[in-house]
Amino acid sequence: MSSLKTIGLLAGKDLRIEYRSPQAFLTTLFFGLLILIVFNFAFDPGNPATLDAAPGILWVSLLFPGIIQLNRSFRAEREEGTIHALVLAPVESGLLFLGKFLANWVLLLLVDLFVLIAFVFFYNVRLTSRFFWLPLVVILASIAVSAVGTLFASMVSSVSAREVLLPILLFPIIVPVVIAAVSASREIMSTGELQYVLSWIKLLTGCDIVFTVGSFMVFEYVLGE
Amino acid sequence: MGPPPEQTLLLATQLTKRFGAVTAVRDVSFRAHEGDFIAIFGPNGAGKTTLLQLIANLSQPTQGVLEWFPEKPDQVRCSVGFVSHQSLLYSELSGFENLLFFSRLYGVIRPRKRAQELLDQMGLQGAGHRLVKHYSSGMKQRLTLARALAHDPEVLLLDEPYAGLDQHGSRLLTGILKGLRGDRRTVFLITHNLMEGMALATRALIMNRGEIVHETGLGELESEKLENLYFRLVES
Amino acid sequence: MDLSYPELRTADRILSIAKWFQVPLYLAVLAALYGTFVYAPTEKVMGEVQRIFYFHVGVAFNSFAAFFLVFVGGVLYLLTRRTFWDRLALASVEIGVLFTTIVLTTGPIWAKPVWNTWFPWGDPRVMTTLVLWLIYLSYLILRSSLPEGDKQYRFCAVFGIIGFIDVPIVWMSIRWWRTIHPVVITREGANLEPEMLNVLILAVVACMLLLVVLVLLRTAMHLNSLVVARLVQEVEEAGR
Repeated sequence: MSSLKTIGLLAGKDLRIEYRSPQAFLTTLFFGLLILIVFNFAFDPGNPATLDAAPGILWVSLLFPGIIQLNRSFRAEREEGTIHALVLAPVESGLLFLGKFLANWVLLLLVDLFVLIAFVFFYNVRLTSRFFWLPLVVILASIAVSAVGTLFASMVSSVSAREVLLPILLFPIIVPVVIAAVSASREIMSTGELQYVLSWIKLLTGCDIVFTVGSFMVFEYVLGE
Repeated sequence: MGPPPEQTLLLATQLTKRFGAVTAVRDVSFRAHEGDFIAIFGPNGAGKTTLLQLIANLSQPTQGVLEWFPEKPDQVRCSVGFVSHQSLLYSELSGFENLLFFSRLYGVIRPRKRAQELLDQMGLQGAGHRLVKHYSSGMKQRLTLARALAHDPEVLLLDEPYAGLDQHGSRLLTGILKGLRGDRRTVFLITHNLMEGMALATRALIMNRGEIVHETGLGELESEKLENLYFRLVES
Repeated sequence: MDLSYPELRTADRILSIAKWFQVPLYLAVLAALYGTFVYAPTEKVMGEVQRIFYFHVGVAFNSFAAFFLVFVGGVLYLLTRRTFWDRLALASVEIGVLFTTIVLTTGPIWAKPVWNTWFPWGDPRVMTTLVLWLIYLSYLILRSSLPEGDKQYRFCAVFGIIGFIDVPIVWMSIRWWRTIHPVVITREGANLEPEMLNVLILAVVACMLLLVVLVLLRTAMHLNSLVVARLVQEVEEAGR
């Protein structure tokens, strides 16, 4: 079976499983909504200083549900032991990674889309043409987070403290992604010229390539006992 | 006419697996032939599961070598089927979907046909569309075996498949395993069930504390003898 | 029962190598101390507190050098599966955390009198050091949550490798961030008088020797403790 078909098979399996039992996914969406609402109470929405903090609020609200979503990516493999069945298959470990990465990315994008819409709603963001740079930034950032997140999620799946361990491992590594994403978002949401957005997008793309390729290459070492 | 000449399939030489300070498998050497049905007995912590993982290539030995004949570097994965007390099935997928997924993944030609075939063979044809989480443990066990056999593996590794099975399930499993004998498939079976193991196996290994303390030959597998030997060799 | 324990021999070899570094280390440190407090002239703008700069930079530079060792140890462990490389990586992380903590504590001592802030956010060097510190600590937390064995060593190696390729990206992203939001703090006094430069180089070299010796000692210690743990295990087994 060709590599692409294999990746499709693996990702399709994960997405189908998620679709069959959507409670956990919906709970993650709800959590994202909740964080935005908490920020609404924590920061006075009328205050111009809050508008300054808005890009940061957006990205915190995107990251935390994202981590929760990533944490669950190897749950079935761990609980039912199917990871052994996957490792024993005549499939390169890189393809196992890409399949999982793809499924995680799709789910992460769905979460992000939901939170983004809620954000637009709560913070009365005007949907001018420049605003549509923002989904691009979200898409690019989610690639990098999914890539390293999938790698680390696989590593922590066997540890009981995995819920807290994944963010501990992930956050220091994705600092550049967060900086780029928040900075780009800030520029998009403000009123000035869009001069630096392209540079940040370039940085995000660079992160995407480095993290995806890097995670792909080392994934074989996190499989097996 | 004597028995057909036995082909060596697998040769283990001084296999050792350490986890930090603990040595789970120590200096294990043995030879397995095509068609062997090898039962592995031993108390908990004897290293049986670790040994099986080494054979399956799920784990790398710290020292020692595991050689397959003829040489199959990557293809080892293709010819191994693995069963453990975990189901190795996706509970949110149906029985048919599980078999279809694994058949496709393992490169089986005509995966849909194979999946249906396996369901029929295991007596699960009625339940193929039901999600695995709604299966009884007996049904799950049958489906697990089906999954392991989907790609027609040359080597079947079973890690305590009798664990948690009731009488009915045990008998069913024994029936299926009996059917596997003699078709050039090599089977490794870890079990605490001495009786069942001895009834099925052509050879037995007794492990204790990471080492093989006894290896039976043919004919040595008479119930009482082996049982007494086992309890003598293995302290509680 | 195999009692040859090759790790013991490796540890001994490491210790004998470390011995060769001891005398140069002591000399270099003494010279650097002398240079810092006596030889180097007092900085015109910042005053005496500037003297912290020499060892601060020396330790900072080597906290990043330690991470390179973590990377090398990780890669070589994954390629060879020899315990030595894993222990080297672990020792480098431990010394790396120590050095990075020193940098993050001596930094504020210098920053407050000079720039009137304990912690200059937005400065790429400071921020990258902070992230490096976090990565080091995360490595240790990961290590402690996994059971002892090859899986643990592999996972830590992978994390070290990802972390190592990440640090330059962190640096770049903070620098770009800073050029867009210029921070009040700028590096004044970048013109070092020749004496100061000499002392700085001396301090970096001294700290590098310190890093090497500490990492070697710590690696040997880890190897020896592995042997001890195994011996204890063997004794327990034999006793039963």
